[in-house]
Amino acid sequence: MKVIIILDQIQAGLGGKERADTPYGGKKIAMGIAENVEKLLIKNDSEIIGTFYCGTQYYQDHRTEVLNKFTKMAEKMQADVVIAGPTFDYPEFAQMSGEIAEYFRMNSDIPIVSAMAQEKNQDVIDRYKDDNLILKMPKKGGAGLADSLENLVVGCELLAGHADMTKFKADFCY
Amino acid sequence: MQKKFEKIMMPLAAKLGNNVVLKSLRDGFLIITPLIIVTSIFLLIGNFPIPGWSEFWIKLCGPKFPEWFSAVSNSVFSFTGMLSAIAIAYAYGKNRGMNPIQAGMVSLISFLILTPTSITVGKEKISAVMTQFVGPNGIFLGIIIALLSVEIYRFAVKRHWTIKMPDGVPPAVSQSFDALIPSGLVVLFFFIVRIVFSLTSFQTAYNFIYTMLQAPLKNVGISLPSVLLYNFLASFFWFFGINGPSITNAVWQPIFFVATQDNLKAFQSHVAVPHTYTQPFIDIFTTYGGGGSTLALLIVVFTICKSKRIKELGKLAILPGIFGINEPVIFGLPVVLNPIIVVPFILCPVLNTLLSGLAMDLGLVAKTTGVLLPWTTPPIISGWLATGSWTGSALQLVELVLNILIYYPFVKMLDKQYLKDEQVADENDLDIDFSQV
Repeated sequence: MKVIIILDQIQAGLGGKERADTPYGGKKIAMGIAENVEKLLIKNDSEIIGTFYCGTQYYQDHRTEVLNKFTKMAEKMQADVVIAGPTFDYPEFAQMSGEIAEYFRMNSDIPIVSAMAQEKNQDVIDRYKDDNLILKMPKKGGAGLADSLENLVVGCELLAGHADMTKFKADFCY
Repeated sequence: MQKKFEKIMMPLAAKLGNNVVLKSLRDGFLIITPLIIVTSIFLLIGNFPIPGWSEFWIKLCGPKFPEWFSAVSNSVFSFTGMLSAIAIAYAYGKNRGMNPIQAGMVSLISFLILTPTSITVGKEKISAVMTQFVGPNGIFLGIIIALLSVEIYRFAVKRHWTIKMPDGVPPAVSQSFDALIPSGLVVLFFFIVRIVFSLTSFQTAYNFIYTMLQAPLKNVGISLPSVLLYNFLASFFWFFGINGPSITNAVWQPIFFVATQDNLKAFQSHVAVPHTYTQPFIDIFTTYGGGGSTLALLIVVFTICKSKRIKELGKLAILPGIFGINEPVIFGLPVVLNPIIVVPFILCPVLNTLLSGLAMDLGLVAKTTGVLLPWTTPPIISGWLATGSWTGSALQLVELVLNILIYYPFVKMLDKQYLKDEQVADENDLDIDFSQV
């Protein structure tokens, strides 16, 4: 299974909040927090073929362009599944992740899953949870990160295999 | 192993993190902390760690110079017990769905009921409150009163023991009547408590709580093994992505708070500070650049790493790291769930605790004065300001070098691994070119 992961500047290891103006880009490796996801994927003979990143402010200022580029590039790289997150309880990244997931669902055949914490993100979750898969995960520093990342990988496998997601959604998503 | 640990520890961590009493203690202390930082600055200016400082200003401004500054610092340091009773009741009341201001006021009154209000001067008894009863030594009493008064008040409110006013009475008036019976119950309870203690050899609730609870707990809590355990757990939890200090502070913070206040009082009175292990000790002499002493990690990354993405991370994260912000490295490296970095991440704070504790106990380095500095104060400067001595800065420098040496082999290992990944990716060109779509 070939996975693309989309992160903001903090989770990609490109600096803190002060770097929110980081333009979009990507590398053909797992960056930042994606390292943790890749370790789990490797166990199942899967891999991260690319990390797409974008600063949260840059995204807000160039929303249409970023959404279009990320979707087109994921299709060009023939990803089986895309992960938008994990966003923890960072509201700007959660907003970006929710919008990206919605855009992929409407404009691409590649399945997508996002992961966010309830804290500070309830509005985003309420807006997108019915039509999209938003995995439950802890806030920054909260308990249960390892479990939620494992669930994320299980979700990716199910999505890539075009399985019925009803039970998964009921058990692990909002 | 990791799974097993998570199964046992995670529910405990979640419980501790969400416990309403511990959460209220944390929130309550957070109300007082900014005041301590601000008044600490006044104390620091009045007693700046430069020889001849006070004498110079007394010559220039007159003999009242120290008094001007101590008036400000006294406003908090001499009343921390009373302030704890108000702030913790405010937070606890809020967390328990009560009107927080009402909770704070009821707790303050309860605290004052238990406080001796007369002093014998010579043969005469005068009406006065000694700051001894309302200062640092009264913090535990303040905590207990805050929790008890809120619980008694809630007990009455939950049973609707309130005086109902007819419709049409303005809400402010009716709310004031609502508070009558619950407040009366709290006052009655502490009235009885005061009488009971006055009949014992302790004489006051203050004496009882201080002797039986605060002093013994403080002695155990600020011992070297206890502080080592604190720092071990704080870092260990971070490895699992859990904010370790938010859990360990719930247990240790009241004790560190008391010890810090003791030192502040002593420093202000120009006598030797009693405690080695205080909040500034934890903040300033056990970790550099945030939890896990990650400034050392970043210095290693910045100077020797070859992997492009680690190097990039080092460049971006070192400046925030100097000011104690390590979010970019915690998620960016990442530190969480990283079995290589966990070793130095735990080892550094624990070794720093041991080294700093021994150096201060042996008198090689000055103990912390209790002055609370803004948490973004960079090392070296913070060591000097927190102890009032250059030996504090020297200790920080030694520990930073030690931490760099500890991190070095582990970061190198990680660098090699990342470099290998990058070389494989390099053959197919690492960057994704978005201009193609």
